[in-house]
Amino acid sequence: MVYELLNGLSPAEVDQVLALGTRVTVPSGGSLFRLGDPADRLFLTERGRIRLTLPMLVRGREEDILIEEKSPGETVGWSALVPPYRFTLSATTPLETEVIALTREALCAFCDSSPAVGYKISMNLAILVGQRLQLVQTMWLREMQRTVELKAAGVGEHG
Amino acid sequence: MDMLWMGLCMTFIGVAVTAMAFVAATRPRSSTPAVQPELPAAKVAPARFFSDRVAASIPLQPLVPIEVLLYQIENHVRLEQAAAESFVAFPTQALLHSKTTSPFVN
Repeated sequence: MVYELLNGLSPAEVDQVLALGTRVTVPSGGSLFRLGDPADRLFLTERGRIRLTLPMLVRGREEDILIEEKSPGETVGWSALVPPYRFTLSATTPLETEVIALTREALCAFCDSSPAVGYKISMNLAILVGQRLQLVQTMWLREMQRTVELKAAGVGEHG
Repeated sequence: MDMLWMGLCMTFIGVAVTAMAFVAATRPRSSTPAVQPELPAAKVAPARFFSDRVAASIPLQPLVPIEVLLYQIENHVRLEQAAAESFVAFPTQALLHSKTTSPFVN
């Protein structure tokens, strides 16, 4: 298994980091965390799939809209390493899923004691955060562009 | 003398016809204020037209089952994410502003 957060670490270093975590099995239809929950641990997906959703009001009803799906090897919940340490999405499991939960406390303590490993993990984290930022920024701009075009065409303006 | 009288008569007739034509021509203008109150009624018609359009579109929405609507939204997110990933991999203005094929917004 190749974990994106542990990319570049030696097998021994990967084992050391994984030993910090706890294996958690979430049943099908289960919830890993909800938007707004305190984020004190991040998760390395070991098996199964994780749906990241955001609540959207659809016809007055709150619906969870799928934003991203995570597969084995991918990281979920990096809000645990970024202040204010609150999850900004909800994570559910459409099928039985196994994750390795790493607490912020344990991971930070390990990175403090092994700065070289900590540097690699930080770089991998920066890639994850940067990729999300680039995607969201692009999607936001495309939606704005569409709104501008609709406004310019006078669509949606009544009276 | 007869010619003089004839000329005077023709002048009077000409003046009278001109005056009648002037009155006839200016009557609609003088009655314009009376027509103006009807203008708001004429403006109401387009408003009713637009409100009819809105009213006509609203009953159509419940016809789409919520599951279908949610599927369309999620599919739209997927397509937009794919478009964003293409842009991030190779940023160009053309890719950034490429039209979406998502039926949700088309």
